[in-house]
Amino acid sequence: MMMTHRERILAVLNHKEPDRLPLDLGSAIATTMTAKAHERMRAYLGLPSEPPPATFSRRSSTVIPDEAILRRFDVDARPLILGNPDGRPDREVSPDAFVDEWGVTWARPEGGHFISTDGPFYHQDEPTREDLEKFPWPDPADPGRYRGLRERAKELHEKTDYAVMLNLGVGPVHQCQFVRGYGEWLEDLLINRAFAEGLMDRVVEIWVEITDRALEEAGDSVDLVMYGDDVGTQKGLLLRPELYRQVIKPRHKRMADCVKRHGKPILYHSCGSVYALVPDLIEVGIDALNPIQVTAAEMDTRRLKREFGRDLIFWGGINTQRVLPLGTPEEVREEVMRRIEDLAEGGGYVLCAVHNIQPEVPPENVVTMYEAAQEYGR
Amino acid sequence: MVDLKMLAEAVIRGDAKECARLTQEGLDNGLSPQVLLNDGLMAGMAVIGERFKCNDIYVPEVLIAARAMKAGMVILRPKLAETGAKPVGKVVAGTVKGDLHDIGKNIVCMMLEGAGFQVTDLGNDVAPERFIQAIKEQEAQIVGMSALLTTTMLNMKGTIEALKAAGLREKVRVMVGGAPVTQRFAEEIGADGYAENAAVAVEKAKELLAVH
Ligand code: B12
Repeated sequence: MMMTHRERILAVLNHKEPDRLPLDLGSAIATTMTAKAHERMRAYLGLPSEPPPATFSRRSSTVIPDEAILRRFDVDARPLILGNPDGRPDREVSPDAFVDEWGVTWARPEGGHFISTDGPFYHQDEPTREDLEKFPWPDPADPGRYRGLRERAKELHEKTDYAVMLNLGVGPVHQCQFVRGYGEWLEDLLINRAFAEGLMDRVVEIWVEITDRALEEAGDSVDLVMYGDDVGTQKGLLLRPELYRQVIKPRHKRMADCVKRHGKPILYHSCGSVYALVPDLIEVGIDALNPIQVTAAEMDTRRLKREFGRDLIFWGGINTQRVLPLGTPEEVREEVMRRIEDLAEGGGYVLCAVHNIQPEVPPENVVTMYEAAQEYGR
Repeated sequence: MVDLKMLAEAVIRGDAKECARLTQEGLDNGLSPQVLLNDGLMAGMAVIGERFKCNDIYVPEVLIAARAMKAGMVILRPKLAETGAKPVGKVVAGTVKGDLHDIGKNIVCMMLEGAGFQVTDLGNDVAPERFIQAIKEQEAQIVGMSALLTTTMLNMKGTIEALKAAGLREKVRVMVGGAPVTQRFAEEIGADGYAENAAVAVEKAKELLAVH
């Protein structure tokens, strides 16, 4: 029986066998394309280079892919994105730098991606909880975030048959790193725990309120919710698993509980090697995991499926550290076959690249990836 | 001798205040700065490197240990300069052009410093010209390049070519690393050494300069 795109995604989320393997491109902040990769893809497919694509994330130089591309690959989901706050829009500092509503400066090398280079708590040796009291936090109620959200969601839900993915902000690990400094916050976790935890609590409070409001507005038309918080590196976890369990997990649980109160499935993103935390993530309440960074330590897809396939949906998996950018189309095919074989049995797999398609990836490889997925995903 | 052991342990625990205090106390008690460095601070960092290598500790523990080591170094550095002590070797390091990931590179720099190298950290998004300029200024024996993106790792090759063009390639050893980089890639682009983590990076650097 032929399913609609939405039915296919929902089947997988319910651990049921879909009519064919569902595919993603561009429904989530870490499953889309950089502007450059998109431009190359349009040219490769002979599509017009106009109109310019909508920005997905300015910070990541990513775009929402052209519908013509998404239809050609028969992608099953579409993104829903919150608006920008009216009260504190990005403040432009130069063509290559801006300050966001958290007071975080984002700067980029010419032609590159933005990265946080300064933030409100960067330069303090030992910031305190009092500093948190004094800080002018972003306003979760700012109407700019929700303007038109309900209409956009409804339009997607009623006028198309794609699954609607609500994209939310990053979790406390990343947001704290942005406002405090990447390394500084990791140090705080050990030597200034009161501040680190206080900061996390503020971030999570704001996140939960935004999520509640967004889902009250648009929940009826949302099929699943996505957010990320990186806790993995190439070689293993970023931090001790006990430290995750003690300090971060309870906050991740608060976030997941909030989404669950609205009855929505969760797609959670963490780069790197997160094998050791998968049981915790399942306990926290996530339904699906992205990106399954197969080249990181311990991210063997067969073992992941065997050990966690009953409780976890896998979303991603196509190697972006070697095969997509550097491999031949034949290798791309083999990669697609392998991941389908490892992960797709009994449903439970949505295929896409491990992260946003980067500029250097040959469009031919991307096309091959989706064509192979259509062919072998029957 | 007890003091030195305590000093190393303060580094391992990441106790910066205690590290500074014990370093000062050591100097006041007439211990030589070189001994405090080698058998105190560096001994502590060596343990940290070993533990990090086998995933016994993680990035946060390494960062606070390095912070503690630096608190001791601030006190020792002028004394070491007075005695004319020479570093184990001179390294210039940075994340290559277009790439802003710096955590891994920072840890490599900290570990090298903790092993007695003099490290000039050029930060991230470092263009070949900046590597070249720093190598000349510092008379560096090793240049370390980090890349975390497949997009930017080719800039390592570009930098090596620029080193050749500047007539420096025979004068410095090139080390590379970062998530997507492999031994094979390192060989392909003509680097002299690759390391998959910061502890191995220290071993590699010593190997390249044949110091022990
Ligand atoms: C944290 C992180 C970020 C942070 C960086 C913060 C910072 N200040 O560094 C943020 C969020 C800003 C970020 C941004 C981006 N990131 Co990022 N990031 C990561 C992540 C999760 C961890 C990296 C890390 O800090 N590891 C911890 C350190 C300790 O490990 P390490 O860096 O590997 O270093 C060790 C060794 O490699 C070695 N080493 C490192 N350097 C050197 C140098 C020498 C000389 C030697 C000998 C050894 C050596 O020793 C180190 C210590 O042991 C990785 C995931 C991963 N698998 O690595 C993705 C990852 C690297 N990022 C990725 C991407 C795509 C991006 C973005 C492009 C996202 C986007 N916008 O679309 C941007 C690019 C920004 C830019 N221009 O550089 C991809 C790259 C994929 C690819 N094709 O290459 C990865 C692999 C994630 C993934 N799932 O695919 N990222």
